Amino acid sequence: MTDLPPANTLDRLTMEGGFTLEELVNRATLVELCAGVAELFSVPLRLFNGSGALVVDTHPSPRLHQYFGTQSGGRRILRDIVESVKALNPTSGMAISAVCPSSSRFLVAPVIYDTRRLARCVLGPFVPSELEQVPPALFQIDPGLEAGRLTELWRELPRMTDANANACVRHLTKTLELVLFSGHRALLASNMHLASTQESYRELEEKNANLSLAYERLKELDRLKSNFLATVSHELRTPLTSIIGYSEMLSAGIAGELTTEQLDFVNTIHEKGEQLLELIKGLLDLTKLESGTLNVRMSEVDMTALLEDVVATLTPTARRKEVELTASSEPGLLPVWGDAPRLRQVFVNLTENAVKFTPAGGSVRLTAAVVMELLEDDEDGPAVVLKGLKRPMVEVRVADTGIGIPPEERNKVFDAFYQVDSSSTREAGGTGLGLSIVRRLVDSHSGLVWIEGNQPNGTVFCVKLPCKKGSFSG
Amino acid sequence: MQLDFSARELTIKLVYYGPALSGKTTNLQALHDASAPDATGRLMTLETKDDRTLFFDLLPLVFQGTHGLSVRIKVFTVPGQVIHASTRRLVLQGADGVAFIGDSRESETDANAESFRDLRENLKQNGLNLKQMPLVIQFNKRDLPGVRTEDEIADLAAQGREPVYLGVATKGEGVVDTFVGLLHSTWQALDLKHELTKKFGFQTGPFFEEVLSKFGRNERIKDVLTRRVGGAREAAR
Repeated sequence: MTDLPPANTLDRLTMEGGFTLEELVNRATLVELCAGVAELFSVPLRLFNGSGALVVDTHPSPRLHQYFGTQSGGRRILRDIVESVKALNPTSGMAISAVCPSSSRFLVAPVIYDTRRLARCVLGPFVPSELEQVPPALFQIDPGLEAGRLTELWRELPRMTDANANACVRHLTKTLELVLFSGHRALLASNMHLASTQESYRELEEKNANLSLAYERLKELDRLKSNFLATVSHELRTPLTSIIGYSEMLSAGIAGELTTEQLDFVNTIHEKGEQLLELIKGLLDLTKLESGTLNVRMSEVDMTALLEDVVATLTPTARRKEVELTASSEPGLLPVWGDAPRLRQVFVNLTENAVKFTPAGGSVRLTAAVVMELLEDDEDGPAVVLKGLKRPMVEVRVADTGIGIPPEERNKVFDAFYQVDSSSTREAGGTGLGLSIVRRLVDSHSGLVWIEGNQPNGTVFCVKLPCKKGSFSG
Repeated sequence: MQLDFSARELTIKLVYYGPALSGKTTNLQALHDASAPDATGRLMTLETKDDRTLFFDLLPLVFQGTHGLSVRIKVFTVPGQVIHASTRRLVLQGADGVAFIGDSRESETDANAESFRDLRENLKQNGLNLKQMPLVIQFNKRDLPGVRTEDEIADLAAQGREPVYLGVATKGEGVVDTFVGLLHSTWQALDLKHELTKKFGFQTGPFFEEVLSKFGRNERIKDVLTRRVGGAREAAR
């Protein structure tokens, strides 16, 4: 019976205990910790990891053992000591090795964390404190080892009671267990953090993929809608032209005299036909602008003349509504770089709109002035900003004293078919396409259009259009 | 579940799930406090500075078991706060049993239900089926005002499949019962699937006596099971 492999490192770190000493605590910390304990008790201390490799060694081997190493009998003793210490591998509690003829001993204890033995600590060699006389066996190791020197070096060995040695090791293993616990905790936290982030990332990726799929579908639908609109508009225009033409001929009396009532009816047909044609043209413009197939022919445009023309065109409408309509331009206004008929369309739309929503006795004022605009998005990038280069733009403001547009609606009015209040449209007429076309036309001139409030009431439509390139001023 | 044949050691993963602040961590703390020192390790909490669980809590428990097969149990809690969804999913990976810690207050009914839906969804994402997952429910915070009455809970529990325990984790009440009840359901499911009793000669009765004795209880598993509400259908399985 085999289970599924662990799905991630967290299982390994929590379920299997598949971690090593060095994974939980770094070596330098272990060295420092053991050195501290060894110094406190003045006894050498060694730490071996789970696979038996020496991790910490606080002292060089004692001079007595170094002296042993000079003679073959001594070397044999050293080998025995290593073998006996290695053989001691308690799974719990402690074990003492005492094979050395010097009566020095080693204390071995496991370091257990989460029921796993992660390390083994070896304390010693130390001589039991109660031993005062040099053990005679020391002098029988090898005739080559000199008794006086042996005695001198034996006296250098650290002294310790077994109880103290036990306390020392208990203290060390307890401390190590705590250090391992916090190391494990930190390791888990960082792994969990990483895994959580990865999981969140995966989740977001999935959502993003779904969103972009939905976005692609919507874009495709939008394209289909535009195509449909363009085709339908075009197909509607053809028969409509006939309706307008024939009604015009009828009202001109080409097919015979009409009675006053008949003429009235035919004129209504003609007038409504023209209205419908305007709407269809608007739709066509919009779809062309949306698909980017509208051609703009750029040239220098005198805004003063253009605005005066707009005012002249709309004055009859304004008079009928008893709205005062004026245009004024700054003297010496720089020409704008644009397509005159399209710009005319922009301002006719805006002015017509303004007149429409201004009650009798109100006013609509068109003003034009040059403003200096800091150059951005130029090839020179931020350096241009540092140089402070500005380019002139013409700002036209169409200010009315009408009902006004609440700030939160100001961005939406540029959406196609959007009406702030559909009841007002029924009253004032309109297709809801005008402002949408305005924005797209201004965009195609690299200009800006936005709405401000007029004081005390009303709306200001502001349009900023660039002047011809090269007409810089520093 | 992890089974180490060479060490004859079985590791079981239990997860405490539930809405935010329902007392999952408190359950683990109470369980830790109630257990004998030789059976439990340090309770590991990975929490934010305001004591809310950030990743999980982990309580390791070790039992001798029988016939040389020792049993290690890792009890996890998930972070209850809604934003930690990905962490909950990770902690649920490979769970062998789930204790759902609910808040008994009527005002928390929606939070309980929402968290339960979240549990089902996260199990599904991990390829686990709630219907096959050993599950016990604890109605915690019985000492607070505005809680559902025991009769009400018993009535509801009788219609459900899962055993239900009542608890006041802050006082340690119902905590051991919930844990032992969950361990029992989980053990039965694992035994059925992996034939542990047959393969290892493992004896369920003595094992649960050992578990209970480590919590200072001189009783049998059936005594614990009688204290649950509902879950009759589970018991009959």
